[in-house]
Amino acid sequence: MKEVNKKIMTAYWLTTTVLFAVSVMLVFMWTPVEQTMGVVQKVFYLHLPVAINTFIACLVCFIASVGYLWQRRQAWDDLAVSSAKVAVLLCGVVLLTGMIWGHSAWGVWWTWSPRLTFSLVLWLLYVAYLVIRPSIESRQRRALVSAVYGVVAFLDVPLVYLSVKLMPDIHPSSIALGTEMKLTLLACMIPVTLLSAGLIAVRFRLQRAESSATETTEELEPQAIVPGRMGGLA
Amino acid sequence: MTQVLQQIALVSGKDLRIEARSRQTLGLVVVLGVLIVVVLGLGLGPQQVKSGMAATAVLWVAYLFGGVLCFEKTMAVERHDGALAGLMLAPIDRGVIYAGKLLSNLTLMVALALVVTPVAVILFGFDLSAAPLGFAAIMAGGFVGFAAIGTLFAAAVSSTRLQGGLLAIVIFPVCLPLVIVSTQMMMRLFGDGEPLSGTGLAVLIAFDAIYLAVSWLVFELILEP
Repeated sequence: MKEVNKKIMTAYWLTTTVLFAVSVMLVFMWTPVEQTMGVVQKVFYLHLPVAINTFIACLVCFIASVGYLWQRRQAWDDLAVSSAKVAVLLCGVVLLTGMIWGHSAWGVWWTWSPRLTFSLVLWLLYVAYLVIRPSIESRQRRALVSAVYGVVAFLDVPLVYLSVKLMPDIHPSSIALGTEMKLTLLACMIPVTLLSAGLIAVRFRLQRAESSATETTEELEPQAIVPGRMGGLA
Repeated sequence: MTQVLQQIALVSGKDLRIEARSRQTLGLVVVLGVLIVVVLGLGLGPQQVKSGMAATAVLWVAYLFGGVLCFEKTMAVERHDGALAGLMLAPIDRGVIYAGKLLSNLTLMVALALVVTPVAVILFGFDLSAAPLGFAAIMAGGFVGFAAIGTLFAAAVSSTRLQGGLLAIVIFPVCLPLVIVSTQMMMRLFGDGEPLSGTGLAVLIAFDAIYLAVSWLVFELILEP
């Protein structure tokens, strides 16, 4: 069974790598260079798919958090933290690619435009999620506080979106794309989604292993420190 | 309904009575608030301070940090002598405990604002007389949402090591939309001289309603002695 799983994962990552290579080729060799932005516009083919996947990762974190509150099973917490980690990583990429675009389009790395602010707040929300976890010692308490935060953070996302709408905007609201551009964007969407899902799966497996290791240690520890038993053994 | 309100008043009254007798929290948060206003005033320099608009942002910083301290202290009171266990044993709904704590926190924050706001108005030369009611409405909307989330997370982390400045890390990102909306509304109200927009206020009220509803729903799950 373990061998089969390993083979499936290898095939999965190989497919993702090949699709990534194809997308990069399409981006640089097939799609035309945009007239006003030049070659920097090509960052858009990564920016949008990663942004969409950030929301998906946040959604997974939310569902897992609700699942934990519902059933109190450690696996839900492991899934929530795995997806939050991937969400932070992806949102970081969105911010960086957005800044590269912004520097070329507006001449500054950062401006307080609604969408940039939205991405920054989203990133901060999930960074806080990851930062607070190690400060809570009890495993159950950590999972519970994280689950509550995971739910509140996700419900906060539409509120952040609403609030930044009140700010003055210079970000393009819609972009006219040629057929090649649209197809390439679609082609980029597939490997990015595969990568995100794969990363969540890998992190989840690691997190499960970590949790079961901690559970085993916690089960063994009380026996080890009972003085009577130690004396008996001696 | 009257009974629920009475219970909320009892829980909140107990907190405020303890505070009135010890005066531990209010003294601390007021001094912290004034210090923040002074430090930021010095940091921004005379040029920025002259515009007056910096006052609203500075006030938010003072309210946010002061607020976090209030939330922490009102929950910390329950940690002494197993008071929280006693409160949880009381024949009242957990939502009532939440509402009582929320009311205590809001009262403390209003007290903080009553001292810190005039200080900022004077030090920053902020013309509050242009729209005092608008200012109060925006701040009230902001306070309710902030206190709703703050009360929830203060209870969630009160039995952990996440006290001190770390509670701020949990609350601030969640409350950023409130800060964005209220500062944008303040800028329009005082900077551009526009009247108070119904849309902005509606967004603030919607925030408060969502934060209150979520906090009320999950408070029962996170409360433990």
